[in-house]
Amino acid sequence: MKSNRKEQEQPKLDMTPMIDVVFELMIFFVVTLKQDDIFSRLNANRPAPNKDTPTQAPSDQIKIDIGPGGFVLNGRGMSKKDLRTNLKSLSQTSKNATVVISCTFDSPHQFLIEALDICHEFRMENLSIFSM
Amino acid sequence: MATKTHENPELDMTPMIDVVFELIIFFVVTLKMATDKDETVRLEDGKHGVILTPEELPPSHITIDIAKNGRISMSNVTMGKDEIKRKIKQRVDKWGSDFPVLIRADWRCKHKAVSEVMNACTDGGVWKISFVAVQDRKSGQSKYD
Repeated sequence: MKSNRKEQEQPKLDMTPMIDVVFELMIFFVVTLKQDDIFSRLNANRPAPNKDTPTQAPSDQIKIDIGPGGFVLNGRGMSKKDLRTNLKSLSQTSKNATVVISCTFDSPHQFLIEALDICHEFRMENLSIFSM
Repeated sequence: MATKTHENPELDMTPMIDVVFELIIFFVVTLKMATDKDETVRLEDGKHGVILTPEELPPSHITIDIAKNGRISMSNVTMGKDEIKRKIKQRVDKWGSDFPVLIRADWRCKHKAVSEVMNACTDGGVWKISFVAVQDRKSGQSKYD
């Protein structure tokens, strides 16, 4: 009896499972294709609180101060754009310079990341972060 | 027509299995997102840093989150600086001081919180620190969201 019924049904193709599977695949791809952000690492050194950096000559040091208002490079206040232009020329003259970044406690973290990013752009890798 | 009445007593399991699989996929996807990290942290752009591939990080790595309000956490568990220092020290004893320390700090947080975390790292014996920034905003989420 069963085989008889099967033979009768076979010519009709049941589309339901196929549609189910297609929907499931669609949902799967919609969920997984949502792309993630690509992250980057900005490497820096944190010197020990009461240790200076005696191995570096002061002439080969670039000093960036970061306050709540913005950037100060070697004593001159400037915007992010100016900091980039200045660091670009400095990186060409002194390749292995140590960049000392001093942040005040009330400065936003954004400025530190921006300064680190510019330093990485010009391949300045000796970066030290101080807090004051 | 006659076939329909014959079939009725048999319970077709296929749609039920389909639904169960769908639920499994749904929970796998959502549960992973809920536990991993502090989702409120918005990172600044850092297009020139070294590209960070989470799969390539050694198991010894440590990620510290700092929220907008200065809350310090690891794996979404709030921690004080002493706890961070202790965790770092444990890792230094096990792997030496050369493991990656990643700080995911919100771009709006004050440097004070970041400084506390960095001091905890140096007290624990690690001087090399990496900050996480966004290289490419593929997900379309801006830092203001």
